[in-house]
Amino acid sequence: MSPGLLFLAAIAIYPTIYSLVLSFTQWRITTGDAPRFVGFDNYSQILADPAFWNSVRVTFTFVVFSVAIEFALAFLLALVFFRGLPGEKIMRSLILLPMLCAPVVIGLLARFSLEPNFGIVNQLMRSVGLPTTEFLGSPDLALPTLIAIDIWQWTPFLFLIFLAAMQGIPEDIIEASKLDGATWPRIVWHQFLPLLKYPIMVGLLLRLIDTFRVYDIVFMTTRGGPIDVTSTMSWQIYDVGFRSFTISYAAAYSWLMLIIVLTMMNFLIRRMAVRA
Amino acid sequence: MAIAISATMVFIAPILWMVTTAFKTGNQAFSADVQWFFIPTLDNFARVLTGSNFSFALVNSLQVSIFSSFIAIVLASGIAYPLARFDIRGKAGIAGTILSFRIIPPIVTIIPLFLVMRTIGLNGTLASIIILHVFMNLPLAVWLLRGFFEDVPKEIEEAAHIDGLGHVQTFVRIVVPLAMPGIAATALLCFVFSWNEFLFASILSSAGSQTVTVALTQYVTPVGTQWTQIMAAGTLVAIPVWIAALSAQKYLVRGLTFGAVK
Repeated sequence: MSPGLLFLAAIAIYPTIYSLVLSFTQWRITTGDAPRFVGFDNYSQILADPAFWNSVRVTFTFVVFSVAIEFALAFLLALVFFRGLPGEKIMRSLILLPMLCAPVVIGLLARFSLEPNFGIVNQLMRSVGLPTTEFLGSPDLALPTLIAIDIWQWTPFLFLIFLAAMQGIPEDIIEASKLDGATWPRIVWHQFLPLLKYPIMVGLLLRLIDTFRVYDIVFMTTRGGPIDVTSTMSWQIYDVGFRSFTISYAAAYSWLMLIIVLTMMNFLIRRMAVRA
Repeated sequence: MAIAISATMVFIAPILWMVTTAFKTGNQAFSADVQWFFIPTLDNFARVLTGSNFSFALVNSLQVSIFSSFIAIVLASGIAYPLARFDIRGKAGIAGTILSFRIIPPIVTIIPLFLVMRTIGLNGTLASIIILHVFMNLPLAVWLLRGFFEDVPKEIEEAAHIDGLGHVQTFVRIVVPLAMPGIAATALLCFVFSWNEFLFASILSSAGSQTVTVALTQYVTPVGTQWTQIMAAGTLVAIPVWIAALSAQKYLVRGLTFGAVK
């Protein structure tokens, strides 16, 4: 067995078992007490906790809206670019810059841009007569704002994948369809979508995996607030584990998250495999 | 064309604003109208690099990213080359399992790993962050390297065997040089992911082992937030990644999708 596999096994398997054991105990790392076995107590407590269900709802709202809008925008943008434009390479490289920034940097930039007094967004809004808005501080707007930030940062990712895939479509397929009198929307619907099924699938799965774990942006901007409207599952686990130090509760919480993620991915991969 | 240009502007404008703000004085940055034309100053960068522990964090991040990428590449080669070349029982299973590590949310693994690091006394050290970044990047590196090793023509390797080279020698002297562009691209992408990583680094670091992403969070205090300096710091964090990723641009799609597309 190669050293790499040993390393992976050690760092993946041992902690996983550790965390499973921990999730059946009660333990706060700030007190000197040893972990005490409590069976399924943590799990039943979490499942009865409205904060848990809130975090599930917030996470799914974030995932569904972000990924759906990113997909649509990226696909349209790739359609604009794929036939080659003057300066295409430069524009493409520039479009990629947001996704290459650390999410922490994007979080800072978002806070700065959305600042009520001098932030560029509010300055622009005032210049067209709109009122000053507290995007990140408003209970109604905070989650949509985070979704918008994710869309801005990650649409380029799907754009890049779709563009590469579209540029790989043989020109004669498009020409043949045109000769048959097909219009562009029909070509896209009947030729592109089936040909691009695999890249679309991979891109969407990767975005789902990443949006589901959203944490950095929340940490930098809203910290789960106002109240708990942006409290995603990752944020909640961090909050109970590393701010309240109820590590065993957080471990049980993580296991529930892992179960949700694996179930969701399993379901999606199977459905996509059936359709492909 | 007009759509393409406006779309580019949408994605670039906030970044342009960050970079330009980094070169502004406080007065220029906070004037009522956005100033796009001004005399740039390097004050913010100078303050960021001298007046705080930020330059220290830059050095930490460089160490973490370089070491973790290097170790990830070495360990991953040991897995990827056999997967690419030899008939191994359960090959698909091994590859699939490695890929599935990508699905697990980091927040799920950080709690037990934090406790393990505490037990073995690595908490708060750069080594603990390096180890976790190797863990994070290994699946990516294995999948990419496997593809690049498969691209090396089999005949060349067979010729090397006939000339009496063993597997290890063939790998080091024939395969690695031929796959070098791919290996370099993989290393650059590992560097990018490690440099940008925040969750592991924030939970495991101490004052002495802060990485740049962690150091950035320290800038935002409720009172007296120095936005021009923060934007300078943000620019400094972004630039190495832009350079690294754009120089591996040819392999970017392959890298970001684990070689699953193209």
